[in-house]
Amino acid sequence: MRTALGYAFTVEWAVYVGGALFMELVWRPVQRHVPPGQTGVLCHTMGRRYRWLALACLGAIAATWAAWQEAGGPGAVSVARWSGLAAAWLALVALVVVMGLLVHPRSHDRLREGEDRAELRRRRLRSIRVMDALLRVELAVALVGALVAAWPHGAGPGPSL
Amino acid sequence: MTATWVQVLASYLHLLAVAVYVGGSVAMEFVLGPAQRFVPPAQAQVLAQKSADRFLVLVWSSLALLPVSGMLLFFSLSDQHLVSSGDIVSTGSGRTLLAMMVLWAVLAVNGAVITFVYRPRLASKASGRGGGARVGEQLEAMQRAASRVSWLTRADLVIALVVVLLGASLAYGNGIL
Repeated sequence: MRTALGYAFTVEWAVYVGGALFMELVWRPVQRHVPPGQTGVLCHTMGRRYRWLALACLGAIAATWAAWQEAGGPGAVSVARWSGLAAAWLALVALVVVMGLLVHPRSHDRLREGEDRAELRRRRLRSIRVMDALLRVELAVALVGALVAAWPHGAGPGPSL
Repeated sequence: MTATWVQVLASYLHLLAVAVYVGGSVAMEFVLGPAQRFVPPAQAQVLAQKSADRFLVLVWSSLALLPVSGMLLFFSLSDQHLVSSGDIVSTGSGRTLLAMMVLWAVLAVNGAVITFVYRPRLASKASGRGGGARVGEQLEAMQRAASRVSWLTRADLVIALVVVLLGASLAYGNGIL
């Protein structure tokens, strides 16, 4: 049981952190080789799929963590480690929800009544800039969360956030 | 640096290497792959090529980091007796570790086949020399290479997930073999 839960926990974090790293280190630079119109289409499709993948991972992480605690936990878990992990998880959920439901749809907004194309373009660019900044914050939080998750059981109380 | 910090560093680097390999493969297969259908084929090919080139750098970095961080973790936990004596075949932990090493080698060989055999074939341009039949042959070879890369990538993801399972059984128990 401990092995199964440890396996699930590792795979869920790995998929989440690896996905965020992939977006930053592969997808972002590759966008430069794609015409802007098609980048928009790809961002829209990939953003939707990535949002569901990220939320599924975060949901699974919470469920596995809860089951792990129920089953006796991964050894002695300090309050600092538990609260650090919970803080990172909450921040990631908030970031994914804000990006997926608020900022990302705005970057694909259509022309509103009485609005000119320049204004629409400015609005979209603003959303893209916010999205870029939030993606980097998300990656940083995910990396810190992974550090807390990877903290070995016998290596002291763990980092406190 | 105390042994504790070596353990923390090794453990973190090991998780990051796993994350890059497994998470990157999942993102490549389930996020970028399906999105390519929404752009014209020529553009999808450029996209696939550029993303695969960059992803392969990450894959090789991760494959290099896995044994280094694994050994560091191993020695910081004073488990080196598993590899230095006959324990590698006589104990569950040893056999599990041995299986992880073998599967890592399989991933490295598959990575080498993709990087040095199939990627150059996919990157080459069809030349008009030799007539239409020659171009047709070249395109067919490229399609074959693309489908083999896709098959190998999926197999690698499954193997990597098995390696993680073996690793988890060592981290939270005494191995499963």
